[in-house]
Parts: sequence; C-alpha cells; structure tokens
Amino acid sequence: MAEIELRNISKKWGHFVGVKDVNLTISDEEFVVFLGPSGCGKTTTMRMIAGLEDPSGGEVVIDGEVVNEVDARDRDVAMVFQSYALYPNMTIYENIRFPLRMRRVPKEQHAALVQRAAEMVELGDYLERKPGALSGGQRQRAALARAVVRQPHVFLMDEPLSNLDAKLRTAMRVQLKHLQRQLKITTVYVTHDQVEAMTLADRIVIMDGGEIQQIGTPHEIYGDPANTFVAGFIGSPPMNLIAGHLEGGVFSAAGLRVEGLALEGSREAVLGVRPEDCHVNGAAGHLTGRIFGIEPTGDQTFVSLRSDDTLIEIRADRDFRAPLDSTAQISFDLDRLYFFDATSGERLR
Amino acid sequence: MTQTTLKAEGAALAAAPRRARRSPFQRKIFPYLLVAPAVIYLLGITLYPGVFAIYQSFFVVTFTGWVPNGVGNYVDLFQDDEFWAALWNTLVIGGISLTLQCAIALMLAFFAYRDPLIRGWRIIFLMPMLFMPSAVAFIWKLAFMDGRVISDLLMRVGLISENIDFLGVVWNARLTLIVADVWQWTPFLFIIFVAGLQAQDKEIEEAARLDGASWPAIFWNISLPLMRPVIAVAVILRGIDITTMFTNVFIMTQGTPGGTTETISYFIYRTGFRLFNFGYASAASAIMLILTIIIAQVLLKRFFRSGRA
Repeated sequence: MAEIELRNISKKWGHFVGVKDVNLTISDEEFVVFLGPSGCGKTTTMRMIAGLEDPSGGEVVIDGEVVNEVDARDRDVAMVFQSYALYPNMTIYENIRFPLRMRRVPKEQHAALVQRAAEMVELGDYLERKPGALSGGQRQRAALARAVVRQPHVFLMDEPLSNLDAKLRTAMRVQLKHLQRQLKITTVYVTHDQVEAMTLADRIVIMDGGEIQQIGTPHEIYGDPANTFVAGFIGSPPMNLIAGHLEGGVFSAAGLRVEGLALEGSREAVLGVRPEDCHVNGAAGHLTGRIFGIEPTGDQTFVSLRSDDTLIEIRADRDFRAPLDSTAQISFDLDRLYFFDATSGERLR
Repeated sequence: MTQTTLKAEGAALAAAPRRARRSPFQRKIFPYLLVAPAVIYLLGITLYPGVFAIYQSFFVVTFTGWVPNGVGNYVDLFQDDEFWAALWNTLVIGGISLTLQCAIALMLAFFAYRDPLIRGWRIIFLMPMLFMPSAVAFIWKLAFMDGRVISDLLMRVGLISENIDFLGVVWNARLTLIVADVWQWTPFLFIIFVAGLQAQDKEIEEAARLDGASWPAIFWNISLPLMRPVIAVAVILRGIDITTMFTNVFIMTQGTPGGTTETISYFIYRTGFRLFNFGYASAASAIMLILTIIIAQVLLKRFFRSGRA
C-alpha cells in the first residue's frame, strides 16, 4: 500500500553528520532491514521516515508525496519502539485502542478491531491488565498489536526484539515475519543483529558512518559483499580478511599464495574468505599455519589458525580433531574468494 | 583451668586487633547519638511549641494566669462566625489561587519543557520566588492601591473607564491576594512540573504522536495521567503553604474589607497578638493542624493509588 523513497536524505547536528546522502527506494509490501553497528544512522534514518526527526537535507517520499512538511501524526506510519513505549496509565485494551480513538475510527468498531489485533499477536487474555503487569514478551506483543490495529501504510520497527531473551527472540522473529506477510504492509526494521536481518529481510540496507554501504537481498549481501565493511560485518564468525599484495593475477601475503586470479594490475589488496570456504588439510594448501584454538559447537567445529600475525577462522566438520599448535594446511575455494582494495576497502572485480 | 586460659587467650586475640570495637549497646546507640543534637534542636523548635499550643488550647490565658477551660475554646470556636468566615476565606482565596497557579504552571511546563534553552531560563522563572515575600506584598499593595499602577495601566489601555478600588471591594481585595500569590508561586510549580515532564519516557510521547494524537490529546491522555503523583506532591506542598497564607494578608489587606480577606492564619494572629486571647488562638491552630493533616493524607492516598501503573 505504500512505497517509500528517500532522496539524498541527510541529518546533521551541528558539525556532526548522523546520516549522509541516503538514497533508497522501498517498494510496496517490502520488508527492509536497516543493519549496522550502533551510531551508524539507521535509527535516525527510520525516525526521519516516521517524521520524528526533520531531515537536514533531502526528501522523504511516501506514496509519491513529499512528506517532509507532514507531521508525524498525519503520515499514517506505525512504529514499534525498542522500549515498547506502552502507555503505563492505560490497560492493554486502552493501549491498543488509543490509535483508533485518536484517528476517530467510529467507536462501534473499536472492540472488534482491538480483539482482532490482540488475537493476531496472541494476547487476548491480557487486555484488562496494565503494561506494568506484563512480561517483556507480552509487552512487546502489545506494542505490536497497537501498531497493527489501524492497518497503517508503513510499519517501522526500532530493534523491537532486542529486549527479549534469546529464545523468545527467535520465536517472535518467526511471528513477525508471518505477520508482515499476512498484513502486506511495507515494513522498515532497524537492528544491529545480523541474524535478525538475514532471516527477516526481503532486502537488507547495511549502514555505517551514516552512509549506506550496500543494499541487497540477504543472499547478495552474504555472497557478494561490496566492501570490507560489509564483508566483515555479515557472517558469524565473520569473513577472514587478509592484507597482502596483488600482482599479475597472484595474491601473496605472509605464508599465503593464491595464483591464477582474473584480476589485473598491481596493488595492495585485501583477501576475503569465509570460514566455510576454507578447508583444513587440503592436499595443496594455499596457506600454512598453526592451530591456535578449536571450538566445537556440536554440528560443526570452528578452528582458529595462526599464520604469521593473522588469525584465520575456519569451519571444519563436526569430527575434526587435531592437537593444538600442530601445523595445518589450508586450501580455499578459489571461486569463493573476494578481493578488496586495501585503501578504499571497495571490492575489486 | 586449661579452658579458662584458652578462653582468656581467645579473648585477648580477638580484642587485640580491634581495640576500637564498642559494646553492642554502644554500637546500637552511637548513630542516634550522632543525630541527637539536630533532632533535639528540630523537636525543640517544632514539636515543643506544637505540643505547647495544644496544651494551651485547653486554657483561658490571661496576663495574670492560666485558667483551665476544658474544650471550652473549641466549643466557642465552632460557634464563632469569624472563625468560619476565616475558614471560608482561606478556602476561596487559597482554592482559586492554587487552581490558577497549577493550571498556568502545567500549561507553561507542557509547552516549555522540550526546549533545550529551558535549563538556562530556569533561574529567571524562579525569580519571583526568590524575592522577599513581604517586599513583594508591599509592591503589590502599592500597585493595587486606588488610582495607582494597575488601575492606571488598565485605564490607559482602555480596559476600564474609572479607577478601581482594588483593596476596598470584597472580591477585588480577594483578587489582589490571589494575583500576588499566583505571581510568586507559579514558578515553583512550573519548575516541578518541568522536571516531571522531562523525566517522562520520550518514546511514549513519540508513540502517541505516531498513533495520531495531537498535542492537546497527548497532554490529556498521556502526560497528565503520568504526572499525577508529581502534581499531587506539588499541590500538597503548595496547599499546606497556602492554608497558612499570612504575609500577603498582613501587609496588603489585613483582613479588610470587613474581614472578607482574613485567612485562618491571620485570624489566629489577630486573636493571639491583637486580642491577646492565646488559648483561643491555640485552639484554632490545633484545628488548622488537624485539618491540614487530614486533607494532605486524603490527597496523597487518592493520587498515589490511582497513579500507580
């Protein structure tokens, strides 16, 4: 029902630049996740969409209309806050009903709408309680119900799951995604948790330092990172980044040599390789190192390998056994190697 | 014998490193000893006169001696029209004054608390409170006097056509007291309300905005209910203060015209120090004390019970 467009959006506080020239189009019914470390401008960008923050430059467009001058209350945007922001003086029923009252929905419809929203988030039994008498998960769902009750044009969620414990978070994640598919409401979701981003998003917008680093589907972001920031941010454990020199199709670093690359020219470069694309004890290894640590997680084993001064993380299978400090040969999947410019961090293609 | 030696040795060992250790009784009493001077001082200037006044209220006090009177003073008081008039005056003047200053302070606070500059302004808002009450009362008295500043100003802007006798007409005289009190004490409430509003979770207000609430709607539905405990405390503090309103009455109207601006405090003062009827004045004070305590208790209970989330 709503397409959001950000045109050269920026936000400054004095000399501090919070968000810098962000351009983004979010299509109707899409679930977009803003991902980045704290202070990267993701929440500020979302707040500018909501109208809680005025952009210092650029335009926010919702459904083809520039809404910079439209007050937050008139943008028909619903938001779920990290702190839930329930009204502590009202019962859950009153909380969920509040947007209906404020938007002058006819009174006769209130009870049914509230009931429906509460059932959607499985909160029907708690309507008469006050927020103070609910658990974190229940409050979270109440906040969600309050947001869905009036069928807004746009859904904004600011780290809605970050105050929940790990188990509840996983359960709520599934519910959230289901809810969004069901309601077909354009959704912007802010998080610093890459697992949330990967699992929920149709597209991920990775931000750092107030700028968009990459926009893409979870698949693209993971398999085709645009720069070292994205490469290092996504994945757990993250991609190994090894500084070295690239010349005539050969990348070399201390204890490491990869040949036969399709990259021209001579430059300082960074090699990126994901832990699962490294194989221990390969016959003709690209890299030799000593085993620094072994971390079995049950279904797989993470091995840290020390080569010169760099630690390289490798994913081995669950049966991997080796004495610490023994020498190991590593080979890479050559078609899964990424190269980045050493100074700009941009991907070399 | 061995046992005693061991015991003695044990005691010596225990005592040696902690020679400063006091007996259990001393340790219990020590903190009380430390605060004793302050407590005795405070009790001496508050509790003692209070108890003394209550005791005195059962006597007819004359210059030659105290004559026991039982509850006679109280019986007389309840039949004294002047006492009831003073009670009524206090209620009317104090009630209107408190309502006005609360409403003004709340409005100001709600509009101003988001302003980052408010911290810098704070001291300016506090100014009226910092002035000496008697000086303020004098200034207001002069300003309100027949044909003086306020009448003159109102005439010059064309709001009135002839001088208003502010201090000589019942409701005008009450109005002057109200104006003076509101002027001096609104800032106090304003500061408290600003602090209360600033302490509120910002996201709650933002959520309300996104839910479609206008500023007045946010104020009525969210801020005001959440402010209940703060408002209760402020109203009680001010309420107690207002029930004992004296300075302004003493300086501006002295109860005139015809006792219509005589507050309870002024009534007590007049009975005690003008008519030298100390027992009677003490009885009135005791009733005031009981009334104040009851009202404060009721207010506190009501506001805090329903204010709880």
